[in-house]
Amino acid sequence: MRGRGNFRGGPLLRAGRRHLTRHPWQLGLSILGVALGVAVMVAMDLAIQSSREAFRISSETVTGRATHQVLGSVSGLPDSLVAQLRVEGGVRAAAPVVEGYVTSGLLPERPLRLLGVDPFSEGPFRPWLAGGPGTDLDGTLLMTRSGAVFVSRETAEAAGVGEGDPLSIQLGGEVFDLEVVGILDPQDRASRMGLRDLLVVDLAEAQDRLDRGSRLDRIDLILPDGAAGDRIEEGVRGLLPPGTRLDPAGSREATMAEMIRAFDLNLTALSLLSLVFGVFLIYNTMTFSVVQRRGSLGTFRALGATRGQVVGSVLSEAALLGVVGSALGVLAGIFLGRGLVRLVTRTINDLYFVVSVEGLALPPEILLKGGALGIAATLLAALPPAWEAGSASPREAMSRSSVEGRARRAVPRAAALGVVLSAGGVGLLLVPTLALTPAFAGLFAIILGMALLTPLATVAMVGVLRPVAGRVAGILGAMAARGVVTALSRTAPAVAALVIAVSVTVGLGIMIQSFRGSVVTWLDATLQADLYVSTPSAVSARADGELPPHLADAARGVAGVIGVSTYRGLDLITDYGMTRVVALELDPRGESGIDIMESRMGADRLFAGFRDGEGVLASEPFAYRHGLSPGDTVRLVGEGGTLARPVLGVFRDYGSETGTLMMSRSLYDRYWDDSGVTSLGVFLEEGVAGDPVAEAIQQAAGATSPVLVRSNRELREISLEVFDRTFAITRVLRLLAFGVAFIAVLSALMALQLERRRELGVLRANGMTPGQNWGLVTSQTGIMGLVAGALAIPVGLVLAVVMIFVVNRRSFGWTLEMTVGPWLLVQAVGLALAGALLAGIYPSWRMARTSPAEAVRGE
Amino acid sequence: MKRRFRRTGLALALLGLALLAGWGLWALLADSDGGQVQATLSAVGAIAGSDTAGYARATAPRPFEFPRDHGPHPEYRTEWWYLTGNLDGPQGRRLAYQLTFFRNSLAPEPAGRASNWDTNQFWMAHLAVTDVEGDRHFVSERLARGAVGLAGGRASPFRVWLEDWEMRWTGSEELDAGPAPGLFPLELRALEEDWGIELVLEAGKPPVFQGEEGWSQKGSEPGNASYYVSFTRMPTRGRIHLGGEPVEVEGESWMDREWSTSALDEIHLGWDWFSLQLDDEREIMFFELRREDGEPETLNHGTLVAPDGSYRPLHYDEVEIDVLGRWRSPLDGAEYPSGWRFRIPGEGVDLEVFPVLEDQEMNVSVRYWEGAVDVSGKGVDGPVAGRGFVELTGYGETPAVEGGSRGQR
Repeated sequence: MRGRGNFRGGPLLRAGRRHLTRHPWQLGLSILGVALGVAVMVAMDLAIQSSREAFRISSETVTGRATHQVLGSVSGLPDSLVAQLRVEGGVRAAAPVVEGYVTSGLLPERPLRLLGVDPFSEGPFRPWLAGGPGTDLDGTLLMTRSGAVFVSRETAEAAGVGEGDPLSIQLGGEVFDLEVVGILDPQDRASRMGLRDLLVVDLAEAQDRLDRGSRLDRIDLILPDGAAGDRIEEGVRGLLPPGTRLDPAGSREATMAEMIRAFDLNLTALSLLSLVFGVFLIYNTMTFSVVQRRGSLGTFRALGATRGQVVGSVLSEAALLGVVGSALGVLAGIFLGRGLVRLVTRTINDLYFVVSVEGLALPPEILLKGGALGIAATLLAALPPAWEAGSASPREAMSRSSVEGRARRAVPRAAALGVVLSAGGVGLLLVPTLALTPAFAGLFAIILGMALLTPLATVAMVGVLRPVAGRVAGILGAMAARGVVTALSRTAPAVAALVIAVSVTVGLGIMIQSFRGSVVTWLDATLQADLYVSTPSAVSARADGELPPHLADAARGVAGVIGVSTYRGLDLITDYGMTRVVALELDPRGESGIDIMESRMGADRLFAGFRDGEGVLASEPFAYRHGLSPGDTVRLVGEGGTLARPVLGVFRDYGSETGTLMMSRSLYDRYWDDSGVTSLGVFLEEGVAGDPVAEAIQQAAGATSPVLVRSNRELREISLEVFDRTFAITRVLRLLAFGVAFIAVLSALMALQLERRRELGVLRANGMTPGQNWGLVTSQTGIMGLVAGALAIPVGLVLAVVMIFVVNRRSFGWTLEMTVGPWLLVQAVGLALAGALLAGIYPSWRMARTSPAEAVRGE
Repeated sequence: MKRRFRRTGLALALLGLALLAGWGLWALLADSDGGQVQATLSAVGAIAGSDTAGYARATAPRPFEFPRDHGPHPEYRTEWWYLTGNLDGPQGRRLAYQLTFFRNSLAPEPAGRASNWDTNQFWMAHLAVTDVEGDRHFVSERLARGAVGLAGGRASPFRVWLEDWEMRWTGSEELDAGPAPGLFPLELRALEEDWGIELVLEAGKPPVFQGEEGWSQKGSEPGNASYYVSFTRMPTRGRIHLGGEPVEVEGESWMDREWSTSALDEIHLGWDWFSLQLDDEREIMFFELRREDGEPETLNHGTLVAPDGSYRPLHYDEVEIDVLGRWRSPLDGAEYPSGWRFRIPGEGVDLEVFPVLEDQEMNVSVRYWEGAVDVSGKGVDGPVAGRGFVELTGYGETPAVEGGSRGQR
């Protein structure tokens, strides 16, 4: 009688555990797989969270208790506005701020935020400026001593300076000394973190050092709640010069943080891939363990174990693997995260904004989430094999052929499911939205669908390969090929894992290659001038300083120069969010450098209109994000009123993903009171050497404001360097994902071959030499590798298409030219083949060493 | 066999527990030092400092010249325009106010930057209104640097301001012929969101030059002195805002003008200062410096002003002050004297002085007590009543500052 209660689960569980411990390789690899998958995910999560946290905390620390901020436009705010707000506007707490970034030789690779404040306005805003209890910071020293600076304890210690010491600072090529007159040592942890790499100076000091003249960057306000606050806010608005914004505190930072959302989501999705492979590995291991124990499971069932008990025992094994693997993974993730966070922050600094991360934040919810996801995914992966183990009747379970029979019968069903999933994925991708989550969901659905299609494709391909293998390698070749299909329950997951791993590698590879190719083409077209002049930037790869005002005219006067374009680029908060506004005084020779993708007029009319200020040019991401086409009107609030102009054309630009609006300098000057120039493009007469001209321009700039002069070739190289740097993290993730996938394949193939011990032993006993044995195993894994490699190419192409035309487009608004290098495809097949062959080595070697008698004896 | 099952379950449960415990501990540790740091920028630091090098010193009497000397003297470190007054509203409603502008040179010279914000001048202002009937004492403080129009002062036409608090001469183009031309009528405007003062002060009695022709020695070291002029009785009219309808008031004010670079000696803990306006048309000013060692201070001095405006100095040994009561601050537990017997035996003066409200503590950067008082007793010519102001410093937790400190007289 079978029945609940008659059979106790103990022996079942013990048998399961013993099975695992008797296959230490399989056990170790599956734990490793889960651990790596969880580790990559946790590490990425931690790295992103840490950079976001660091940004949030430093913003909040610097914003202090402000409720609102008055933000200047291009030329900042007049410094008389503070008194106006406090005297006429009735604002009690109004603190002026001037800030910029500098570097110090004492703190390499750490951009330092120079924060200029008025110590007497600070009381209600930034309590840390007063120091902690017992400390005695004297804010008046900042005011009365030229060069006086407060630094945080951590920063002072890192730089090896104390009170009274000089702190050497670099800014735009200039070097000067500040004097540390106080150490900020707040008691709370958040303030301590937020003060990292912060230099606090007097407002007057910051205005002088940063060349702000009598302008302020912003004024922090604390407005009361309720009707009184509304009334004051109304009054304040009446006092603001045009182009000035009054925003709730932190909205600027929120806009900035929003910029990296797509970047973060892409990285998170990539890190999830690793977990997918880890799950695959668990599925594999559990399937194997079930298939291998078919006999003993059948026996237990015959002895009265219920279906539930069998399912339970398999699941509890998986849970054990999941718990151990996930725990290890979380720990490993913390270590891996330390490396990743540096890559992530460097990219953010290169592309978006300055963030300084002190170390990895370890929010327990991320660690728990990682661990829980690892365990859940493991259980989910073990569910089909557990169900399989439980669903077979005792008699059936003991027969092996039934498993394979069922596996073969499942092939068309899996394929059908795969088609449905892929179609669903494509459907998700076609949903007309800018949201990224459906894009990634679609991508994952397609990947899974493709994985489900592989068994069918494998059977079909082996059908083609079998005669070929037979002709090439005789009966052994045919056997090897047939073996792939007859053991489909075990070969199919391995092949699928291999296909997905390789195709993801191929897809990412094609995406990066296409991206880079597009950028190269764009750079080659854009960099039309012979020389480029800019200021050395303290922080980012972007030019952000201002050139000496006379430099453009001076450059025009240098012998051999036939034309100069001036460029002014600024990141402004507009009604479109963070926007790069570019004012261009365009030399006609530079026109061909602007690649117009979309326009309703000819190039001549377009550029004439652009020059006359009739309209503006929108970069592709800008037009995409805001749904603008040529002819649509763009509105920007300038200092001299609201600019409203049609979009004359949409141009290709990979420089800013938030989008760029380009206008002629004359139009810009009508709306903004700003004479600044960020960079120059210098056109040389045919045959004139660049170096003497560069030297002449540098001399014209003067020793006190050094400028960088670079040839278009140098600038192109530097740009690509930044590009490659920003993709370093993608490459790392790709490598990690492949690593996990490779382990999955290794484990699957090894288990498969080891399980065939007995079969191979029989062949050996029948006269097969160890060499032939080796050949059989190798050609079988080789065939699987070939099949996987061949299947990975189309799948990889599909993934590349999705990533280039959906994910990237939605994330960054860029159209990329897809380029597929043949080398990548060869690499794909090679990778699959190498992986498969490598996996065959150990089993062959072991088979060759065991005597046939030993092998045949059975378990 | 169930035991095994149980054991696995137990292990899993334990693991979960450990994770939860770890999380909890984490959260706990993360929160334990998350408290907000409460502190304001030290205004003491702004005004204190014993380094007097580079500043002008009050080493000898000097001729006063108006309107020049109404304006600031930035070559001296510390300076103030100290206004107090007792006022009457309708139906005998008793009110009082204090408005003080403090100027401080933080360094002998500005740092020399090109920026408009570059200055060595720091301004602070205190405003207080006492409403006896309502048992209320309003206090507010403002700080600003003396640049970009935030705060400043000028002699002619006279104006001293900090944000929208100001005192200014509202006379015609022509300077008046009085003993302190260019000051009266003097308008005071200092309004908070729902309370404040709008007053006009007229010339009353002529200025009193305290100490030796306006040179008031406060410490034993040479130069530890101030230039000190008082306007002891100025008829005052205007409005006091206390939320709701403003109250029309009338009364009398007192102003101390004083500037110095350093005044007190190290040994002084603080001072008690009295300004009394009696209804026999006399006024009395007297201050007592309290010594660390409890010894009587020979530097204490004051002035007795006659009805005709003439005055004579009061020396330390001419005045006897006994404390009659005590009041404990609810803010920091500091114990202030509250009620005095004030005698000038040589003149036959024997007065009792009591605060109109016990709690007139100034809860500002550096705490002190400054409040309106009622006076009654025997004057020079017989029974007398009066009003006045008393200032008490150095009693709170905040130690009195060495050198020249803000509230010192």
